Amino acid sequence: MPPKRSTGPKASAAQSTLAFHGTTNRVTKPTTFPRSAKSHDKIDDILHASKPDPATTDIAPAEEEAAIIPPPALAEPTAPVKPAKQLDAEAAARKVSEARIKKYWAAKEKARLAPRAHQEELGLHEKVLREWDMCGVYGPAIGNSRLKRWNRANRLNLHPPIEVLAVLLMEQDEGNAGAQRAHVDELMTSRFVVEA
Amino acid sequence: MADGSGDFRQCSPFETDFPTNERSQSAYTPLHTFDLPRGADKHYQQQYADMYFLRLAQLKPAVEEQAEEAWGNMKIGTDTPQHVDRVLDVRQGIPSWVVGTVFVDMPLKPNVLDDISKDHWISAPPTRERYTTDGKLDMMIEDESGRLQISGDSLDTLGLVTGCVIAILGHENIDGVFNVIDTKYADLPRQPERWEKDDANLALSGGKIKQRRARADRIAIISGLEIAGDSGNDLALDMLTEYLIGESSDPSRPEGSKKISRLILAGGSLAHSSPIPSREEVSAKKGHKKYGYDSAAYDASPTARLDTFLSDILPTLPVTLLPGVTDPASVAIPQQPLHAALFPQSRALANSPAFKNDPHLGFDSVSNPWEGDIDGWRFLGTGGQTVTDVQKYLDVDSTLDIMDAMLRWRCIAPTAPDTLWCYPFQDDDPLIVKECPHVYFAGNMPKFEVRTESGPFQQTVTLISVPKYSETGIIVLLDMETLEVTHIDLRVGESKP
Repeated sequence: MPPKRSTGPKASAAQSTLAFHGTTNRVTKPTTFPRSAKSHDKIDDILHASKPDPATTDIAPAEEEAAIIPPPALAEPTAPVKPAKQLDAEAAARKVSEARIKKYWAAKEKARLAPRAHQEELGLHEKVLREWDMCGVYGPAIGNSRLKRWNRANRLNLHPPIEVLAVLLMEQDEGNAGAQRAHVDELMTSRFVVEA
Repeated sequence: MADGSGDFRQCSPFETDFPTNERSQSAYTPLHTFDLPRGADKHYQQQYADMYFLRLAQLKPAVEEQAEEAWGNMKIGTDTPQHVDRVLDVRQGIPSWVVGTVFVDMPLKPNVLDDISKDHWISAPPTRERYTTDGKLDMMIEDESGRLQISGDSLDTLGLVTGCVIAILGHENIDGVFNVIDTKYADLPRQPERWEKDDANLALSGGKIKQRRARADRIAIISGLEIAGDSGNDLALDMLTEYLIGESSDPSRPEGSKKISRLILAGGSLAHSSPIPSREEVSAKKGHKKYGYDSAAYDASPTARLDTFLSDILPTLPVTLLPGVTDPASVAIPQQPLHAALFPQSRALANSPAFKNDPHLGFDSVSNPWEGDIDGWRFLGTGGQTVTDVQKYLDVDSTLDIMDAMLRWRCIAPTAPDTLWCYPFQDDDPLIVKECPHVYFAGNMPKFEVRTESGPFQQTVTLISVPKYSETGIIVLLDMETLEVTHIDLRVGESKP
């Protein structure tokens, strides 16, 4: 006969179960939450109180301050100033219309003898950008973002097509971050190993 | 006191008036051409193809201009050679000229396969001094479209190294090899006038351009101090200190009046600062693991000795320090300035990093290679690795010929990504000579040589190869008004008959 199972109190009552969820076990990174309106006044009071009263502290530390060289004013981290050539190019690119890009692409297609294969699913913008990657005249496309490559080619007076910059800026405005990286770059740095 | 008045200044010991030596100030504007960005702005995810692309794109217009001028109107047989844009577009039999980067296939170059052979054999093949062999070399011209093999008798007499950008004239023969008749390089770029940068800065800031400037004195260039921290070359260093301070020269002699106003240390100040242990040494040293630095291996005395030497001369003589091959700076060029933490005494006389562009107090630790303006003249200097690396490719004894060729190719380090470790520049290659310097010096050279070269637009460059002080005891003195070079020999232990 199989051994009798006891139906008494649970033998494993000593161990509690682990909970990976629930409000008691929440682990959150300390983030700065937007201050609610209530706490504003108290913090502002403290900040204003710590400012030294200029009238009383005028005379005494004057000599000390004269001896101390004032620390250099650290530049606030602002966006780097773009050179004029880049700004002109961006202004010109924003005026380029979708129709002009289509005409540019049609001219490129006409220059070929046969239609492109394996590009049926791609949109016009992606096709234009892949063609941009493959032009070796403007430098290697791997390890560099498409926009930076365009700006570099412009700076070196290689006359890159303005339609490509227009497409890049349109993609950037739409928030498409994937369009900044060259497709070959993704292929060359992929980590998948094909078992032969 | 002697006369009882209590006035110190009236006593006899203070009646004699000792002559004081004074140094004139040298106008100094370092250009931070080779300073790399710090921290997160310095990436390494790009490849070296960017560097070759930048070099070709920046030098191609200049080379094309020279080639057009030389070959635009000439006739080979009945045809004029035509300019071909891409290297692979040359057609067989048609005389043409094309611009590209040279690649010299040297089988004795250091190869990554040598490292792998260490795993399979007992030891790696020994490192070679020169990569040249006796046979004919395979040379190729390449650009972004591809490579073209070149051959020709003129190529054997010319010295060409991997990385220089030239234009070649010739035609492709039946084997697909381009037969070269003539070559052209970019030649010396535009040379700024003396005081050009200082005048431009004054004009921008709204000041009046000074017409009269004080007469400039001499500057001293030394390289290869090779301070090892032991008492080996203490005497030589002390003699050098005395000479630079002025204690050993007599102010009454006419030569003593021509003072030194600045010292440039062109690399090699420390000897073998911290050799990287090879794989065998690391595996042999199977001791207990130590976290942090291994105090048994690190020795602070070389840097302490260099610091003492600099702080002895710094109060009166400003010093510009370039790192070299053996110094504790990065291995890849451009080597960044030696950190101020290494010089606790001397850094009191240096500008803090926030005031990098202000007139300097005294001690300036700069990059290698280095470009700057001293007394209006444009200087370009290296610690020597760029020149010795090119020397491995060519069978040339005179380093001045190599330095001249490097200026004419407009490449400070033509072999840079190939055999000389280098930072992968992506946006702008500073290793291209954009403005011709007035003085070009290289440290740690085998011997002392000086030459003046001139360019097609009346540029004149003084080339100086500075030998190692620890071996030869030579201090190079450059007069800043006439750009005349003399030298002083300080030797220890040699008795003249």
